[in-house]
Amino acid sequence: MASLRVRRLLGSSRRWFSETVPGAPSPPASPLYPPVVASITAKSKAAKSRRLQRFNQRVHAAATVEEKLRLYGKLQRPKYTVYPQTFALNADRWYRSFTRTVLVPGMPPRAAAAKRTVAAAGATPEAGRAPEPGVEAPAAAEAPGAAEAPGAAKTPEPAAGAAPSLDIGELRSLACDALLQESFYQKKKRPFLYRDQDHTPGPFLTQLVSTLAASLSGRNPLLAASSLDLNPEVNYYWHHGEEVVVHGHRKGRVDPVRFQIDDNPHLQIRVPKQLPEVVPLESDLGDVPVIDHKPSKLPLFKKQYENKVFIGSKVADPCCYGHTQFHLLPDKLKRERFIRERLEDQIEVVYRSNGIASLFAWTAAQAMYQGFWSEADVTRPFVSQAVVTDGKYFAFFCYQLNTLALTAETIKNNPRKNICWGTDSKPLYDVVEDGNVKGFNDEVLLQLVLFLLNRPKEL
Amino acid sequence: VFPGVRQAQWLTKTKLVEGLPPAVQGTVDNPALGLQELEERARHVVSHARLWDTAEAAPRREKYCPVLFENLIHICRSMSGKYPSLRKRMLARNCRIAATWERESILLQVRGLSGILMNSMTPIPPVASKEEILATKEHVLETFYPIAPTIDLQEVNVYKELNDTGQCFRDGYPYSHPHTLFFLESASVRTDRFRPEQLRAKMLMFAFGNALAKAKALHGNDPKVLEQPVVVQSIGTDGQLFQFMVFQLNTTDLVSNDGIKNLVWIDSDQNLYERAQCVPEVKKRVVTKPAGISGFQPDTFKKFLALYLHGTV
Repeated sequence: MASLRVRRLLGSSRRWFSETVPGAPSPPASPLYPPVVASITAKSKAAKSRRLQRFNQRVHAAATVEEKLRLYGKLQRPKYTVYPQTFALNADRWYRSFTRTVLVPGMPPRAAAAKRTVAAAGATPEAGRAPEPGVEAPAAAEAPGAAEAPGAAKTPEPAAGAAPSLDIGELRSLACDALLQESFYQKKKRPFLYRDQDHTPGPFLTQLVSTLAASLSGRNPLLAASSLDLNPEVNYYWHHGEEVVVHGHRKGRVDPVRFQIDDNPHLQIRVPKQLPEVVPLESDLGDVPVIDHKPSKLPLFKKQYENKVFIGSKVADPCCYGHTQFHLLPDKLKRERFIRERLEDQIEVVYRSNGIASLFAWTAAQAMYQGFWSEADVTRPFVSQAVVTDGKYFAFFCYQLNTLALTAETIKNNPRKNICWGTDSKPLYDVVEDGNVKGFNDEVLLQLVLFLLNRPKEL
Repeated sequence: VFPGVRQAQWLTKTKLVEGLPPAVQGTVDNPALGLQELEERARHVVSHARLWDTAEAAPRREKYCPVLFENLIHICRSMSGKYPSLRKRMLARNCRIAATWERESILLQVRGLSGILMNSMTPIPPVASKEEILATKEHVLETFYPIAPTIDLQEVNVYKELNDTGQCFRDGYPYSHPHTLFFLESASVRTDRFRPEQLRAKMLMFAFGNALAKAKALHGNDPKVLEQPVVVQSIGTDGQLFQFMVFQLNTTDLVSNDGIKNLVWIDSDQNLYERAQCVPEVKKRVVTKPAGISGFQPDTFKKFLALYLHGTV
């Protein structure tokens, strides 16, 4: 208004006259007016983004990891429950798109290098050390392995300091003993209806892993300090993509698509030190499938309940990194059922979807326990392994988590992808007859042993 | 009615010795085993079982008792890297035991799920010396006149006398010697759990049943004094209190009241820790009990490990 402006001019001019020292005007210590930003409570896109920023700052500034997790999962809204063990067709493609994972068939190169060094008779301490990642390592490890082989063959017993060669025969006998005890020697009642997996394969897997881990703990100090969980709980909650709310009082608003995985592996091994990375953080090994449909077409259903992030034990546990998980497929997903319904190609899909979903949930929860989240992406890759089995057929998976930033804003400039290496399912044995295991497959056992022997380079 | 162990002693013709046998005690005190480093792991393991294992505030006894047991066994098993003969062990869960014997013209039977059984390929060497075994001849079994010793026992009509040789395993099982029995009292409601005295009696009866079945498998069904006594151990816990027991079967001649008796060593009521506080207790804005495990007793864990290693080390 004109009068106000005139009064202000007069006022400022009066001040100017009363100044005795007409020096340079002192720079203002702070801006005279507060910054002009969007409102917090208005119903506008700017206000929504400001609220989101304030929330992100709150989570960034949280003092402890528990507080961060609590704030991260504070708002409860309907979310899709993703089941790792599912009968949905082609579920592994969908899960890969939800978790931004690239599937690479076969095992990562370091596992192949370790296999070659172990297979060379007379593995010496050099070969016994952790196999290093990278392509040049196999050649380097091969040479000492091959050179030491004739030398070790001459000396019958290595010195007390050197690690003796891996005795596959003894491990095979351990595995066979576990299998025979559960399936043949121990007198059990008939299995409950549709609970065949709890009768024999479940206890067999527990026995096998616990005895193998115990006997290999002398070789792998990480296993000696590990923690073995039976039937633990692994949960993870994340946002990926956007959708428009369809009905209800929030109709028409753009919401992130929320997912929650609640997994119960049969067995898991947690360790105090992280497994080494397989490939560098920014590597690109393939493409992530893009699916144009809504997740509910998989089928996936929404529920609203507590947003849990849990690796198997609380944040205070020193064993906060994951080593290996073991999953047992339930009776609902057994092979004969798929063959009967003429869906043979879906058998592998079951193993793959279980591996990808469970490992993503576990590694991402481990990353959150270290303070990373979707706005504060991981600075080092998190690696974990998993074995999915139905008692006879074993499939091996190795997962490297490179990014947690999967929400709609953070994924825009994110070139990183998570990587999952996986094998097809192979049988460990053919049949158990009269106290004998027929057709025992050493390769599967070897792969399992290599998984258990995996450890960081320093150890 | 009165302490269960005394009744169980009469039923199994056993003499009680307080404390663990010297062989096991020697393993506990042996510094060469490196039990000190394991103490730290045991502490972590107790914290994991009691505090960290669940996404809720505090795990319940049905969860933490088996988890604590599994973790302790995991630590013990990882010693097999140092002692390869420990690999000759196998755990069997949910195995059923059945054994019958006669005791002064009363036919007694032990049947049921005996918890978790650990078998080994080699038997435990006898713990008591020959003189101690002979000395039990003079020991008089405590009788409870006028109360019949079969009080509080269920009387059933047995049509088939079952003596499952090798407990619940078929012939040819490589791990044929029962080593240790584990009993977990994991019911949440206190009245569903066995009291320590009753738990000790249950441990004694089942250890005796396993040893008797093994002895009959090895030496036949005739009642006689055993040349090679059969030793079976037993550990019972409710998640905090541990009961340790070593039972040695010297004779299968159980009809008469005199002669050589069996021996049992019991170390009872060993606390592994005093209390486990999940959330700190605050009274009038002052923390009276901080969160965490307090009063950890490493000796109890050492005894657990010594019983596990008994027979191989």
